Amino acid sequence: MATWTWFHRLASPPHVYAFARRWTPWFGGFAGIAMVVALYGGLVLAPEDYQQKDAFRMVYVHAPTAWLSLMIYTTMAIAAAVGLIWRMKVAHAAAAACAPVGAWFTVAALGTGMLWGKPMWGAYWVWDPRLTAELVLLFLYFGYMGLRASIEDPVKADKASAMLAVVGVINVPIIKFSVEWWNSLHQTATVMQMGKPKMDFDMLWPLLLMFVAFALYFVTVLLIRLRAELLRRERNATWIREVLA
Amino acid sequence: MSEFLDMGGYGKYLWPAFALGFGIVVLNLVLALNSLTGAKQDARKRIEMSQ
Repeated sequence: MATWTWFHRLASPPHVYAFARRWTPWFGGFAGIAMVVALYGGLVLAPEDYQQKDAFRMVYVHAPTAWLSLMIYTTMAIAAAVGLIWRMKVAHAAAAACAPVGAWFTVAALGTGMLWGKPMWGAYWVWDPRLTAELVLLFLYFGYMGLRASIEDPVKADKASAMLAVVGVINVPIIKFSVEWWNSLHQTATVMQMGKPKMDFDMLWPLLLMFVAFALYFVTVLLIRLRAELLRRERNATWIREVLA
Repeated sequence: MSEFLDMGGYGKYLWPAFALGFGIVVLNLVLALNSLTGAKQDARKRIEMSQ
């Protein structure tokens, strides 16, 4: 019963707007603190790697951005599916709010990966399965945003873009398992694997904290963008007068 | 300090990567806040025009 009440509240734009306004500073504050501590841990406290030396510290920016690019797409696809199935406007707004953030973090993952690839592989770019699938992810984000922008009717735009988001989610496991399914220059999973992570704890804790920081940061940005989306979509609703008063 | 910045010779790759990653972190926050400010201004204008 409580679950259904919560679910129904999630479908209410004024409730979601109030929730977002209330919790954004908390998520943002904790994200900022966690990021600073994780950066200090990764750049200063963690020992150098015996093979990659100090170049391994690239993991503290590359892995969280790459993970976020996948996590945001998955969140977008789930929100889009909820919007399609239950015709929930807030879910479509959340999916739309995810897309630009996800696209930027895919750019970050590709860029930081290139800067790690040059000293380790001798090339900024190779048409490796992991890199190529991540590039396809960027095109999926572009496709989602382009499709939304090209359809004037917001209901039709929601539906069409949601279908693309749901179909495109197939690329997420392809990216994740590409290093196992095909021969790849990219290293296999170091942290996200069954059993014990391969990293030493002194190197691992700043990375885990950075993952937490990036997740909190994403929630912060999502809540801000969601408020903007709701204000634009609910342009004639009376609750907007109350929240802006 | 210079040893820290050099990062064993990998600084020329490491620091641009951190600048790019955390630059995008800051940029996304700014873009989101701008989007919210714009949406609020549009909503206020609509309310004023309807009165």
